[in-house]
Amino acid sequence: MKAFVEGAAVGLDAAAAAAARLLGKARLPVIAGLGTDVAGARAAIALAERLRGAYDHLASDVLLRDIDVMQQISRMVTTPGDVRLRADCVLFVGPKPRQSWRELLKQLNLASPPRLAAEKKARKILWLGPGRGEAAEVGATKIAAPPGTLPQTIACLRAAVLDRKTRVNGALGRKLADLAAQLKEARFGVIVWPIESFDRLTIEMVNGLAVDLNRERRFSTLPLGRATNAQNAVQTSGWMTGFPIRTGFGRGYPEYDTWRFDANRMVEADEADAALWISAYGAESPKWKRAIPFIALSKPETRFPYAPRVRIDVGTPGLDHDAVEFSREIDTFVATKATKASAAPSVADVIGLIDQNLTKGSSAC
Amino acid sequence: MLIRLAGGRVIDPANKRDGISDLWIRGDRIVAPPQGETPDAVYDVSGKIVMAGAIDVHSHIASAGVNTARLLLPENHSAHVARPEATPLSTAGWSTFETGCRFAAMGFTTVVEPAVPAHLALHSHLELADIPILDKGILTELGDDDYLLSLLRDGASKTAIADYVGTMLAASKGIGLKAVNVGGAVAIQNDVQTFDLDDVVPTYGVTSRQIVEALQQAAIDLGIPHPLHLHMNNLGVPGNIDTALKTIGATQGKRIHLAHVQFYSYGKEGKHGFSSAAAQLAEAINSAPKDVTCDIGQVMFGQTVTVSLDIIRQWNSRPMASPRKTVILDGETNGTGVVPYRYRSDNFYNAIQWACGLELFLLLDDPMRSLFTTDHPNGAPYTTYPDLFALIMSRDARAKWLADLPKEAVELTNLPSMTREYSFSEIATMTRVAPAHLMGLKDRGHLSPGALADIAVYNDDPDRAQMFRFAHLVFKDGDLVVRDGRVTHYRKGRTLTIQPTYDGMIDRRLARYYDDLYGVSRDLFKVPSAEAIGRDYAFEEVACGR
Ligand SMILES: [Zn+2]
Repeated sequence: MKAFVEGAAVGLDAAAAAAARLLGKARLPVIAGLGTDVAGARAAIALAERLRGAYDHLASDVLLRDIDVMQQISRMVTTPGDVRLRADCVLFVGPKPRQSWRELLKQLNLASPPRLAAEKKARKILWLGPGRGEAAEVGATKIAAPPGTLPQTIACLRAAVLDRKTRVNGALGRKLADLAAQLKEARFGVIVWPIESFDRLTIEMVNGLAVDLNRERRFSTLPLGRATNAQNAVQTSGWMTGFPIRTGFGRGYPEYDTWRFDANRMVEADEADAALWISAYGAESPKWKRAIPFIALSKPETRFPYAPRVRIDVGTPGLDHDAVEFSREIDTFVATKATKASAAPSVADVIGLIDQNLTKGSSAC
Repeated sequence: MLIRLAGGRVIDPANKRDGISDLWIRGDRIVAPPQGETPDAVYDVSGKIVMAGAIDVHSHIASAGVNTARLLLPENHSAHVARPEATPLSTAGWSTFETGCRFAAMGFTTVVEPAVPAHLALHSHLELADIPILDKGILTELGDDDYLLSLLRDGASKTAIADYVGTMLAASKGIGLKAVNVGGAVAIQNDVQTFDLDDVVPTYGVTSRQIVEALQQAAIDLGIPHPLHLHMNNLGVPGNIDTALKTIGATQGKRIHLAHVQFYSYGKEGKHGFSSAAAQLAEAINSAPKDVTCDIGQVMFGQTVTVSLDIIRQWNSRPMASPRKTVILDGETNGTGVVPYRYRSDNFYNAIQWACGLELFLLLDDPMRSLFTTDHPNGAPYTTYPDLFALIMSRDARAKWLADLPKEAVELTNLPSMTREYSFSEIATMTRVAPAHLMGLKDRGHLSPGALADIAVYNDDPDRAQMFRFAHLVFKDGDLVVRDGRVTHYRKGRTLTIQPTYDGMIDRRLARYYDDLYGVSRDLFKVPSAEAIGRDYAFEEVACGR
C-alpha cells in the first residue's frame, strides 16, 4: 500500500489530510470514476453531499443509455438464473463483446434443457446479427444482420410478430417472418443483448419486442455486459438520494442531471475545480484533458494523463478486503470475502480518513 | 439520564389508560415514577397527547423493487426544495434517509418492509442500514419457489417444510413470512392468465390453498411470532370479494394476517361492473376467529407508484401506467413489477377504491385486528397517513372529501351514512398495540414500565392531519429525535430478526440443490453479519419458538 502527495511517498494519514485540504477548498468538486463497492459508493456519495459536489461513474455512458430508455419508455428484464432454469427459447441480438460474456454464458447453461420448464427438451437458440463464428459457438440458428441495421431489422421483426406488413421483402423478410413464428412458439423466451454496444434506439427496440411477445407468451430480456460493478454505485445512489448517478448537491439537495453532472464535461467546461477519481476494480484513469487538481484512489499500475496531486493505492473489493458488491450472476448484491486479504485500504476507509480531516478543518474555523 | 414528561394526556390502551399523568424515562426504557429523584430533564407536555411510538407492519420502504421505482421516476421526487404539502409524492420520502426522518416526524418508530424475495434480502438490508432513527424488519417472501413446491408435490412432512421455511428465514434475516398470490407466478410462467385459491399450479399439482396452508402451518410450527402475512390471489380484480371470502374460510382457525384487504373488497355490481363489497368483507373478518387479522391498504388520491411482487397484476396494469412507463422484472420466483399510477378523485374506480378502504376502517369492529396501512406506496405514499387519520377520526372530514367525488361513485357507497369516528384510544390500538402484538414485539406498542422508550407526543390540534403530520416530540430509545416535526439528529436504528430453530440437515440438502440447480453456491444468497452490511448496522433478535 502506498500513498503520494505531489509525487512524494507519504503516510496514509498525510495523504488523506492533503486530499481533504484540496477538496475542502474547492468550489465545486466532482467525484468521478466511482469504481468501488457498496461501502465505497456510500462513503463517496456522502462525501459529495458534504462537499456540495457532484458524482459520476466511469461507465455512465453505457449505463445511462439503458436507464434513459427505462425512464422514457419502459423496461422488461429477467435474471440469468431464470434463463438458465426456465427459458426454452433464447434469441441473441447483435455481436457479443467477446470477453465479458464468457462466464455469463457458462452460467446460462444453454446446452442443457431448462430444468424447471414444463417440457424438458432442448432449447431453441437463435441469433440475430451475430459476429463471425459466434452463432456456431452456442449452436444458434443464425439470421444475418449488420450491427448498423439492427434497429430497423428489429422493427421489422416486431411488425412480423404483430402480423403487420413489413417493408422488407425477399429473403430477409421471409427469414424474419420465420423467426417471428419461432419466437411466438416459445413458452418462455428471452432476448439476450450486449449492454455495452447497443445504442438507445436498439435498446428501445429490444424492450419493445419483448413487450410485444409477452402479450401472448412469457418473454423478457437479459442485458449482458461488463458494467457490473457500476450497479454498486447506481443502486446505492438510488436509495441514498432517490436518483441514479450524475447527481449533484450544489444547491444543498440532490439534483439528477445527466448533462450538468457529467464529470468529463464539468472538468472540460471549467465548472469543477477539483476531482476525486475512484477506480478500485481496475486501472482506469480519467478521460478529461483539462488539467485540474485531482486525487486518485486507484490501482498502483494506473497510467494517468497527468499526475494526480494526491494518489492513494486502494485494495480491490473482494480481493484485498471483504466487500458487498452487485453480482451479475445472481442479479443482486452478494457479500464477498477477501480472497487475498491484504493491508491495502478500501475506498471507504480512505474516504473515512478524508472525512475526519474535513471535520478537523471545519472545527478549526 | 432520567426524563419526566409532565402532565400529558397519556393514551395507552394496552394498559387501559387514557388520562393525565407523568411518564418517566430512564435510559432507553420507560420506568415507574421514581421516588425522591430529580429528573435530568423535564418536558412540560400538558395539553399534549402522549402515545407509544407507532409501528407500521406493511410499507414498502427498502427493496430492489422500491429502488427500481426510484430509478424509474426521478421526476417524482425532484422537488426537494418546494415540497408543497398538498402534493403527496413530492413529499414521498423517497430516499432511505428521508424515509427515516419523515416516519419519525409522524411519531413512527418501527417500520416493516413486507415484500422481500428470499434471494434479494441483502439488498433490503443494505437499504435499511441507511434508514436512520427507525427500527426495521423485513418479511421474507416464499411460495412460488421450486424447492417448496417440490416438497409439497412430493408430499413432504410438515417438519420438512418448516425446516425449509426456517432456514430461508434465518438466511434472509427476516422477522416474518410473506406469501404473494402464491402459485400465481409459476402459473403465469405457464401461460395461465388468472389464478385463484383452488387453481392448481402447473407442473407441481398443488393448489394455492395448499401452499397457503403449508406456509401458515410452518409459521406456527416454527413459533414465528408473526403469522403468515398473505397477499391473496386476484388483487384489484372486480369481484375478488369471492377470493377474499374463500381465503378467510380456508384459514381453518389458524393464525393468518391478510395484507391490504381494501384491494380485495370489490364486487362486480353496477353499470361499470365495479362496486364496493367492503361490508361483506368486514363482516367476514369480524366473525372470523380472533387470530385472523388484516391491514387496510387505503387508497388516497394523488400520484404514486405501485411496486409489487404480484407480477400478473403488474403486467395487467401496464396500460393504466401514469406516467406511461413501467419496469417488469420477470425473474426468479415472483419477479417485481413497477407501475407508476395516479389515483384520481374524479375517476369512478379510484373513488370506489377510496370509499372501500374507509368503509372497511369504519365497519371492522376490532382495531386489534385491523391495522392502519396504505400499502405504501401502492395505495398511497405513507406521507398521506396524517390525512387518513383525519378521515377516520372525523365524519366532517369525510363529508368534505365526498363532496368532490363523482356522484355515481358516492351513490354506490354507504360512507355518507357512517357516523363512526375513531377515538385516540382506537388509533393507538391500531397503530401501536396491535402491530406490536402481531410482530411479537413485547416491549413496544405500550407505555408500561420496562417498555422501550419509543414515545410520540402530539399537539392536540383539532386539525388531526396537522397533529399527526408533525409530532411535537418523538423519543427513540429514550433519545429525543424529533422536536416540532423536525428531526434534531440521526441515530442508528436496529433491524429486528428472528432465529427459528430447525433441523440443520436442510442446509446440507439445500447446498446440494443450489449447486446442482443454479450452478452457484447457496452461500451467495445468505445475508452476512451486520458489520458486513454497514458500519453501524445492528440486528436485534425477537424471541421465536413455542
Ligand atoms: Zn404491499
